[in-house]
Amino acid sequence: MEIDLSPEDFEFRQEVRDFLKENTAKPGADYSQWRLDYFKKAAAKGGWDVPKWPVEFGGPGWSPTQHYIWEQETVTASLPWDMPFGIGMLAPILMNYGSKEQIDRFLPDIRERNVNWCQGYSEPGAGSDLASLKTKAVLSDDGTHYTVTGTKVWTTMAHMADWMFCLTRTDDTGIKQEGITFLLIPMKQDGIEVTPIITLGGAHSVNMVHITEVKVPVENRIGEEGKGWTYAKGLLQHERTGLAGISRSIVALENLKRQAQSVPRGNRTLMDDPAFKSKVAELEIDLLAVEFTELRSLAAAASGDDPGPESSILKLKGTEIQQRIQKLTVEAGGIYSAAWGVPVGHKFARSGMQGYLGGRANTIYGGASEVQKDVIAKNVLGLKRS
Amino acid sequence: MNFDISEEQQLLQQSVERFVNENYDLATRRKLVDSPQGYSDDNWSQMAELGWLALPFDESDGGFGGNQIDTMLVMEQFGRGLVVEPYFANIVLGGGILKQSSNLELKTSLLPGIITGDVRLTLAHAEEQSRFDLDDVVTTAREDGDHYVLNGKKSMVPNAATATHVIVSARTGGGQRDKDGIVLLLIDSGDLDGNHFPTVDGGRASELSLDNVRVPAERIIGDFNLLAKAAQDAVLALSAEALGCMEVLYKSTVEYTQEREQFDHPLSDFQVVQHRMVDMFVEYEQCKSLLYRATLEAVQDAPTAARTSHALKHLIGKSAGFIGENAVQLHGGMGMTEELAIGHYFKRLLVIESQFGNTDYHLTQFAD
Repeated sequence: MEIDLSPEDFEFRQEVRDFLKENTAKPGADYSQWRLDYFKKAAAKGGWDVPKWPVEFGGPGWSPTQHYIWEQETVTASLPWDMPFGIGMLAPILMNYGSKEQIDRFLPDIRERNVNWCQGYSEPGAGSDLASLKTKAVLSDDGTHYTVTGTKVWTTMAHMADWMFCLTRTDDTGIKQEGITFLLIPMKQDGIEVTPIITLGGAHSVNMVHITEVKVPVENRIGEEGKGWTYAKGLLQHERTGLAGISRSIVALENLKRQAQSVPRGNRTLMDDPAFKSKVAELEIDLLAVEFTELRSLAAAASGDDPGPESSILKLKGTEIQQRIQKLTVEAGGIYSAAWGVPVGHKFARSGMQGYLGGRANTIYGGASEVQKDVIAKNVLGLKRS
Repeated sequence: MNFDISEEQQLLQQSVERFVNENYDLATRRKLVDSPQGYSDDNWSQMAELGWLALPFDESDGGFGGNQIDTMLVMEQFGRGLVVEPYFANIVLGGGILKQSSNLELKTSLLPGIITGDVRLTLAHAEEQSRFDLDDVVTTAREDGDHYVLNGKKSMVPNAATATHVIVSARTGGGQRDKDGIVLLLIDSGDLDGNHFPTVDGGRASELSLDNVRVPAERIIGDFNLLAKAAQDAVLALSAEALGCMEVLYKSTVEYTQEREQFDHPLSDFQVVQHRMVDMFVEYEQCKSLLYRATLEAVQDAPTAARTSHALKHLIGKSAGFIGENAVQLHGGMGMTEELAIGHYFKRLLVIESQFGNTDYHLTQFAD
């Protein structure tokens, strides 16, 4: 057991810091140009644009410690916006189950961020119970294409996406996990209708997507017909650990402390208030632990072992911590947290309430906490349900 | 021992319930919230006609002689409907202070207008540094002959944009956190600069600036004790409203989980979901009990009344958080949408948590 950084790790950290410093957006520069340039430069570093990709697909082949350093350094840096759907979700599926043609066709655009993807998984009747999805895909008699009809919901960024990777049902005669087929569907075509869903924080990021008799060539099917669940399932667990956001929470907690220090409380500040201070301290203690839970999980993944029980609790614990930080931020905002959409009183109060409301989704998406616990009970503790 | 309300109170409760059922479906409310004023003049006139604006005032002043129990009945129904008319600011806060004022002249001149709905009051007590402390006041009221000259800023004043008068707390003397030296003055809203904005629950609030505002000395309504008493009644009223919100939240959740099927079962078949909803129900019932206790103690002017009101706002805050968050959680993605009512009740509870002291604040007050 060893947790100190080696001299090489220190060197790596410096290299990361230098790179990030050199490549921050210059004031007045064209944002989208800078964004694409950034990823080019990161690619030129040897896969820094795709840190989690395997070496054979152009990833950097970092050690767990290096990944950890990257996480820590980038969480405070202003990197260009990036969506996980292509890079983090579809790409690993293509690498594992896609044909050579599909890899050659889709992977370069994903890497260069030329094409935006969205994830067509959830449906009105299939949320936590994803396998009960009903969007129908019927193969043509000549076997050249599928005709797809159905409704997807909570589709993040569907309104900005060029493509959707989509779970469809090609067979409903067997158990529901079978008969699911993984298709890639262009979004900008007749038969695809995207309707915004406005969420509690007032934001539009999720959508309802109606798909009506859209023809999808069989070349756009990943792997075999009916095996889509197997392809998607492995990735779900991956998505879930990614949602824990531990590094972001560490930064968020530091921000919260600073914010609380700016709130007067008598002659002192809110950070001196015993009740508030102890809630911050409890969060800090949980974060100290969960940070190491994440490291243990990273180390296990790097050694090629199956993710251990520690990784199963990351999403559960990580999202709970996010929500507690958000809630304390609202509390710190005091009377001003009630103001909506205007900067009033404490500067952080406005985004604090928006963050709290939006953050209620964190324990719902990517497998609700209740479902995470079911998974842990079954797969880790080996429990059966009556 | 008797927890039944009188026949008169039953009629009041039913009349407010009917008003809410007839006027407050979510779509209608949404229109009100999105309108510039944020509420309906017609509803306000109707409240005046039904006598609700006269509710807490003495019969000798033209009122109905109601007490905190009557206000509780009204506010609980308002919570069920997420009513946006400024009843709390006008009648509970403004009316509550005026009713107990020893400035009889001011009272006589204003009460008739309040009862018809033409005079609309609100209370400006909070300041940027004060957080929830009523006695932390830096706004000054300097004596100048038979006038006071006011300077300072007031925060998160409810419904100030539509008020005709604002009751302002200001300091004539003493240190920043002294109870002595605080006065309440009635100011015409025209004399105030306001930055008006919506609140997260669809209500309205304002930041007000007082820049050498001259107020005649006869506009003094009272002192800190009156403010503290009004705050205690405000806690009771807000808690009743919160109880109405919580009732809708836990009941809607019980209903929804029986309709929504996942894993080939209604969600309500899962024991973890059942137990969560049982906890929500238990919290709700506990809040109701403490609300009754605190309200009855206030009516009887019991020596423990103030302390029990702190206990109440603490428990309401804690339970509202639990019930609100779990209602959203158990509604899944749907609970996150503006389309469902759930989120709107949740947001109202969040604002109530920020009004007149949050959960932690009242726990400290209770313990001290």
